[in-house]
Order: sequence, then structure tokens, then C-alpha cells
Amino acid sequence: MTDGDLDPVIHSASRLRVVATLAALDRGDRIAFPRLQGLLDMTAGNLSTHLRRLEDAGYVQQTKTHQGRTPATYVELTGEGRTAFDRYTRTLTELLKGAQP
Amino acid sequence: MGEHDEDDAPLDPAAGLAIVAAQRRRVLDSEVDDRVIFGTWGVLWLVGYALQWWSAERSPTGTSTGPAGAVFGALMALGLVVTLTHIGRRSRGVRGTSRSMGTMVGLTWFAGFMAQGLIVAGVVAAGASPEVIAIVANGLACLVVGLLYMACGAMWRVRSMYLLGVWVIATAAVASLVGTPDGYLVMALGGGGGMLAGAVIAHLVRRRA
Repeated sequence: MTDGDLDPVIHSASRLRVVATLAALDRGDRIAFPRLQGLLDMTAGNLSTHLRRLEDAGYVQQTKTHQGRTPATYVELTGEGRTAFDRYTRTLTELLKGAQP
Repeated sequence: MGEHDEDDAPLDPAAGLAIVAAQRRRVLDSEVDDRVIFGTWGVLWLVGYALQWWSAERSPTGTSTGPAGAVFGALMALGLVVTLTHIGRRSRGVRGTSRSMGTMVGLTWFAGFMAQGLIVAGVVAAGASPEVIAIVANGLACLVVGLLYMACGAMWRVRSMYLLGVWVIATAAVASLVGTPDGYLVMALGGGGGMLAGAVIAHLVRRRA
């Protein structure tokens, strides 16, 4: 098994952090953008960019709603995203095992 | 987009898994903290029931006096405020399954205690003695708490919460059989002590997580 087996969408420190955070939420939960940003210490622009990339891959769903008059965005991992994350971490674990003498 | 990607050095497996663990920890630390809930109720039960026992020992009926009962009620109200504030703060910005389940669980607590209040009112109206009222009121309240802890513990797979529910029911059963005034002491040490032990166990589980 090589690095090439790793999902290129998740295989970046920033996007792995985003996906790992969303995967740590309960299944079926979505999180407000500012709270997610707080859990990641990323700038809003940076986070938006990564979310768009993950959304394009079908791993993340963003829902726009309103809280009173303020627009709010909620983010969740799709079933496909969760499967990809599980596969990714499993591959990492196997790579790590393989690397040990 | 490319700019950020180039900043992101390719990960080695150990670093990747460390990121996953760190973020899981971070999310866990931002969610409802069972140590706060168990600890708050542990202290309040210990103090509240000990106070009732102290007043009952000095009362001719052998049951908690009006002022001691009022202080107990105020302590329970304080516990409710602390619990709801904590849960409200920690679950802000999260929607979906856990929120709708949480709302239903909250309503179940409310329904349980409404029923407990009405049953106690019925027992009082039927002319029960102070001791019968004290036993029924406490036994029913603890049954609601214990069963809900067991149900929530099973649902959220929090073993410490489930066991605490079993313990609360067992303690209340013993307190009911002991009767007043010593039943209050059973509640203070067993109930309050059990909740505090639950907080310590939750802390140890969290450190290992």
C-alpha cells in the first residue's frame, strides 16, 4: 500500500482537519459555520475554500438558512463523506503498520 | 484554491492520525460535559438531602421541615438552571438528530416531574401523613431521574450514566424502605455520593478517550 491509495480530496492537512471534525459529530448532525471555524482556527475564507472542494467531491453538504434575519450556513458530512473518511483513516493505520519494522 | 493546497504539505500517516485524534478531542471538549452535570447534582443532592436529614432529626414528625424543604427546592432549581445553561451553551450551533432527540428527552423530564408533582398533590389531598408524602415524593422523583438516566445512557451509549441511573433507583428504594428521617441520609450519601463518584468516573473515562 502506498500514499497513492489515499483519497486526494482528504489528503491535505487542512481538509483532513475539517473532515475529522465533522466526522466527530453525531451522525445526522450539522454544525453552524462559525462554530466549525472556532473548532478549526481557520479563517472564514480558508474554510470556505476547503468546504467548497469537499462539497464538489460530494463529501460535505452546506445548508443555508436564516436565524431571524441573519443568514446562517450549516455544514454536515454526507454519508459518502463519512465512508471516505473511514476508508482514509483505515488506510493511514495500515500504512503506519506497514512502515513499522 | 491551489494556493492553500500547496501550503498543505503531504501528510505522513502518523501525523494524519494525530490530526484525527486531536480534532475528535477538540469536538468532545466542546460538547456537553457529563462531569459538570454529575458534579453539580452530586454536590446539590449531598447538601440538600443532608440539610433535610438534619432538620428532620429535629422535627416532631421526623420529616423535613418547611424551611429545609424550601432550601432543598431552591438547590434543585439551581441545579436545573446550571444544567440547562450548560447544555444550551454547549449545543449552540449544532442542529439535526441530536438536537431533536435532546428536545424530546427534555420534554420527557418535564412530563415526568409534572406527573410526580400531580401524584404527590393527590397523595397530600388524600390525607397522607408527612412520612408517606416524603417517601412518595422522593421515591417518584428518583424513579423519574433513574429511569431517564438509564434510558439516556443506553441511547447515547454512556455506560457511566446508565449505571448511575441504576444506582439512583437502588438508593431511592433503600431510602424508601428506611423511611424518615434516616432515608434522607441514605439519599445524601448514596445519591449525592453516587453522582460525585459518577463525575470522577466520567473524568477518568474522558482522560483515557
